[in-house]
Amino acid sequence: MTLIKNRQIIDDPWRYLSDEQALKVSHNIIDLAFWNENKHVLSDSGAPLGLLIPADQDLAELASELACFSLIAIHIPTFVDGRAYSLAKLLRERYLYSGEVRAVGDVLPDQAHYLTRVGFDALELTDRPSASLALKKLSELSVYYQPS
Amino acid sequence: MYLYDQLDQTLINERVEQFRDQTHRYLNGKLTEEQFRPLRLMNGLYIQTHAPMLRVNIPYGLLSSKQLHALAHIAQHYDKGYGHFTTRQNIQFNWPKLEQVPDILAELANVQMHAIQSSGNCIRNITCDPLAGVCADEIEDPRPYCEIIRQWATLHPEFSYLPRKFKFAVSGSPKDRAATQVHDIGLHMKKNEAGQIGFEVLVGGGLGRTPVIGQTIADFIAEEDILSYAEAILRTYNRFGRRDNKYKARIKILVRETGLDKFTQQVNSEWQAIREGSLKLKQEDIQRVKRFFAPLSYQTISNDNALIQDLGNSGSFRQWFIQNTLAHKQSGYQVVFVSLKSPNRAPGDITSEQMSSLAELADQYSFGQLRTTHDQNLALTDVRRADLYPLWQQLSKLDLATANIGTITDMICCPGLDFCSLANASSIDIAQGITDRFSASAIDTGKISLKMSGCMNGCGHHSIGEIGVLGVDKKGEQWYQLTLGGSDSHQSKLGDRLGKAIAKDAVVDAIDDIVQVYKANRVDNEDFANTLQRIGLQPFKDKVYDAD
Repeated sequence: MTLIKNRQIIDDPWRYLSDEQALKVSHNIIDLAFWNENKHVLSDSGAPLGLLIPADQDLAELASELACFSLIAIHIPTFVDGRAYSLAKLLRERYLYSGEVRAVGDVLPDQAHYLTRVGFDALELTDRPSASLALKKLSELSVYYQPS
Repeated sequence: MYLYDQLDQTLINERVEQFRDQTHRYLNGKLTEEQFRPLRLMNGLYIQTHAPMLRVNIPYGLLSSKQLHALAHIAQHYDKGYGHFTTRQNIQFNWPKLEQVPDILAELANVQMHAIQSSGNCIRNITCDPLAGVCADEIEDPRPYCEIIRQWATLHPEFSYLPRKFKFAVSGSPKDRAATQVHDIGLHMKKNEAGQIGFEVLVGGGLGRTPVIGQTIADFIAEEDILSYAEAILRTYNRFGRRDNKYKARIKILVRETGLDKFTQQVNSEWQAIREGSLKLKQEDIQRVKRFFAPLSYQTISNDNALIQDLGNSGSFRQWFIQNTLAHKQSGYQVVFVSLKSPNRAPGDITSEQMSSLAELADQYSFGQLRTTHDQNLALTDVRRADLYPLWQQLSKLDLATANIGTITDMICCPGLDFCSLANASSIDIAQGITDRFSASAIDTGKISLKMSGCMNGCGHHSIGEIGVLGVDKKGEQWYQLTLGGSDSHQSKLGDRLGKAIAKDAVVDAIDDIVQVYKANRVDNEDFANTLQRIGLQPFKDKVYDAD
């Protein structure tokens, strides 16, 4: 995986652990089940924490807990599944979430532009060539009609 | 009509280059077929039976003569010298070469046209009444609003990977000429008691394998709220629409499975959160777009003597005048339908020579503008009545004056098995059979809408035809299911099944039987729908199936 954050390829400081190790490390992205089982321990630790959610997540269920996370990763099961776009938009505009919103899963370089426009500031691409292409794709269109 | 500014032009130019890169990567093996598919579809490119098919948008059916010249050029240089107008007011080219498509798009961009979102699971071309701005019964010209919606929908970052395709139609008159009830969102312009302009919003209509008439989700949405309301519907659909089965992925299924009441609540709760946001239209933005659609500079014409004389002199002209033209709201002018249902071509087809000549006629007689209709015809909507006779003469020479608008030979027909990889049965040869059988008697038979699709996806709108013909596959043979009594008027209605499917070689006879039953039973000038309603399906069944 190669990470794009704020229009740059960077080394990913985050990892994905959802077992007991996760309770000890910082910059870890956990899944929802692990969060639900361990939320008290995790939220007390104070270490930056990330949460991986599926594209059909009901954000209202998470509203009061969003502040616990420095990063929300939305899983895109297949690149033609557009639910993540609405979810990211809602996270930013309805829930005013200001941490990192990351697209993970099946992400095409050709989608980088739309993904960033709806609120994703981080994109996981399969490899470095894809990530480089995605960066190029980010500046392909210089104008758009929608107000935001 | 709307003219591009710098932003519009930059956007489509950049989109052309984006697609050029995608095509290039696909041809070099750097994009898989699976990855390229949705990307090319979002730019109107299908892979069909013989070749790619490129569908070009004609936003709300409005076309300048310059644009028609460009389409003629594209048909001539990149295709086989003809194009095909669709039921959603667009044009399709059936034989372009994939590697040339970026060049075609660049040519289109030069005349402010594009193929963006003309297919794929995204918001498609916004269609409207072909008589917008010229019909006397209009509450408000829908075209400025279509343009506003077009801009909002174009390259929408959130709604480009929807569960399925999404179609808008807008009508500005009480009489629905845009089939709004069979669209994902249908908008009817209206004014409230305070005289404020707005829309009744219908949702969940559609044809295809589960035809559904749209239901009213909001009685009145004010003009400044139309984008935020549309965004609320689209967001609800994008989040909750089914993605597990493409045949259950249209918004009509979501509305049905959720229930209209609950769906309305979901939309309203979303809308309340965004209503006062950045999508709220300012009056100055609406007025800016409206200025592009200001009334044309009509002349004041005091007498009709020339037309009266012409009508007296020629029976064929009189017949065409009655059948193919309509009153205009401006006195001294007339709306002219250009029939693309000549016996010599497939319904909706037009050659590049016809396109070029017609573009010249539009310049000469109709302010350089044309309309496409959802019946797959064209219209010159602003012709001086005194010019009708010379215009008719020239249209006749071009084989564009078949006096059959609204009759049984003015049928809607999809490309069918001859071109489409989805089709189960051919439709063009059946259309030819119907044309051969009825050309002589079409006017005497009166107004009958015949709509034909080569498969249950329903591109030929068979479900809402007064006579509907649906091609089905039965163990490798082509059969046809007939329905009667459908309607695409303001009271849209799905047709009822006549009986078991009919073999290909018996279809034209069966339609002839139906027409004979109607003619034998009609009272005075009763139209087909009323006769059918009065006598019921049985006499038609008896005649069609007993004759077997």
